[in-house]
Amino acid sequence: MRSDPLFMPVRELSRHIKSGRVSPVELTELYLRRLEKIGPNYNSVVTVTRRRALRQARRAEKEMEAGNYRGLLHGIPYGVKDLIATKGIPTSWGAAPFKDQVFDYDAAVVKKLDQAGAILCAKLAMIELAGGMGYRQPFASFTGPPRNPWSPDTWTGGSSSGSGAAVAAGLVPFALGSETWGSILSPSSSCGVAGLRPTYGRVSRHGAMALCWTLDKLGPLCQTADDCGLVLEAIAGPDPEDPTATDETWTYKPRSTKKRYKVGVLKGVADDAQDEVRQNFEEALNVVRRFASVEEFEFPDLPYEAITRTILNAEAASAFDEFVEAGLSHRLTAPEDHWGPYARTTLLATDYLRAMRLRGKMAKAVAEAMEPYDAVAAPTAKKAATPIDQEFRKVAPGATKDVMGAVGNGCGLPSIGVPDGFTRADLPTGIQFMGYPYDENAIINMARAYQSLTDWHRRHPDIPEP
Amino acid sequence: MDEKKAYRSVSENLFKVIENQYGYWLTVEELEEVKKSVQNIAEASEALRAVKLGNWDEPFSVFKPMRRRRV
Repeated sequence: MRSDPLFMPVRELSRHIKSGRVSPVELTELYLRRLEKIGPNYNSVVTVTRRRALRQARRAEKEMEAGNYRGLLHGIPYGVKDLIATKGIPTSWGAAPFKDQVFDYDAAVVKKLDQAGAILCAKLAMIELAGGMGYRQPFASFTGPPRNPWSPDTWTGGSSSGSGAAVAAGLVPFALGSETWGSILSPSSSCGVAGLRPTYGRVSRHGAMALCWTLDKLGPLCQTADDCGLVLEAIAGPDPEDPTATDETWTYKPRSTKKRYKVGVLKGVADDAQDEVRQNFEEALNVVRRFASVEEFEFPDLPYEAITRTILNAEAASAFDEFVEAGLSHRLTAPEDHWGPYARTTLLATDYLRAMRLRGKMAKAVAEAMEPYDAVAAPTAKKAATPIDQEFRKVAPGATKDVMGAVGNGCGLPSIGVPDGFTRADLPTGIQFMGYPYDENAIINMARAYQSLTDWHRRHPDIPEP
Repeated sequence: MDEKKAYRSVSENLFKVIENQYGYWLTVEELEEVKKSVQNIAEASEALRAVKLGNWDEPFSVFKPMRRRRV
């Protein structure tokens, strides 16, 4: 383990802070410097929130000196995807037409992290409008194509691109991202970090850009699964400003990594993945077998991708109705985002409602199929990071089906992705554990068990020092 | 008219709606891409329609009536 705080998991970092060995102000200065000097190499930062960060860090230090320790996130720097509102600081939604947009309030998650004593250091880059206009290639952000710290000629995945890159490059100890369909898990896999998509409704989305009201979730990207639990506990819980937020609070309960689990693997789930992704997943399952029984199963035959895609298309069309009507999509960066939103404007209300009716059948069928298992394992993404200058669907074109994403997001199920190896080109790959609604503890503990037997999460890209 | 022809006709008509409503924003090449996307959406709708639903299968969405005062 390195002796400096970079790449330290939050739990370990907080031990150093609490003991006084690491000062929140010095730690914040360290990360601010990295965000300013290294961030631009990866197009991963939109705004460094230096003034706010140092104000918060000084406050944290004073509070701790006075014996008021707020908990494990006290004094820990972090960044948020730039679709999360921050008072008086631009929130660009990754899109040129909104680059000067400023809100006069903090999003609920930022308020909660503020209460936990965490220090907001950066607004992180993202794919414009969270990829909701149908982008096809990495250059779909006004801050430039998000480059992967493992290989800057490759993409980070998206749409929480900067959140994945910033954690991977040690620019922040943790970050928040959002997922409508794949936007946390994709950068988690490509950047080799842990990414947690919580249950729909677990985390308030008040103050976050809406893409699809019945699909959007906010969640953390961190060095480890354990850190994801710590951050989720801080941001989860009820919020009267978000009617979809659950009334229950959530407590992270790390369990012994010795517990036995039962894991299901969807039959053929990795068949169309890239060879190295499939091989790493098969090897990862051998590790999983050390703490779980692993069994293949099948979902009943339903048009899962068509259901979730139709819901996404209809809600995104409505969420950006005025934007499209005004012709503003033509000011977006990616050419395909100029015309992308028009087709869905003709989606029939009856088709949207049919998809919502089928969603009930899907939720029931999936719950029944998953019942014998504690979680379902699959590759987090079917491809390793794709070249920065290519359309990602054209790389390994067979690997485009995403039943796990359609089911997971369509049914609002939580999932956590953690690194499970590397390709010959030294690009990370990942394994995800998808679980039952509201039972994030089960999947986090399973991912912890996996990480207790592997060291992929302790490997970090070579980043030139600032 | 067979089923395939029917939904091609639907997607062609829907495309005409877009062409009429937003044509001035879009180039010929962009309109071609939009046409393909409309076909993809129509195909997804066909996949949804292939599953039988009962009259009682209601949309799976959360809706809580909002009240301002206790009753």
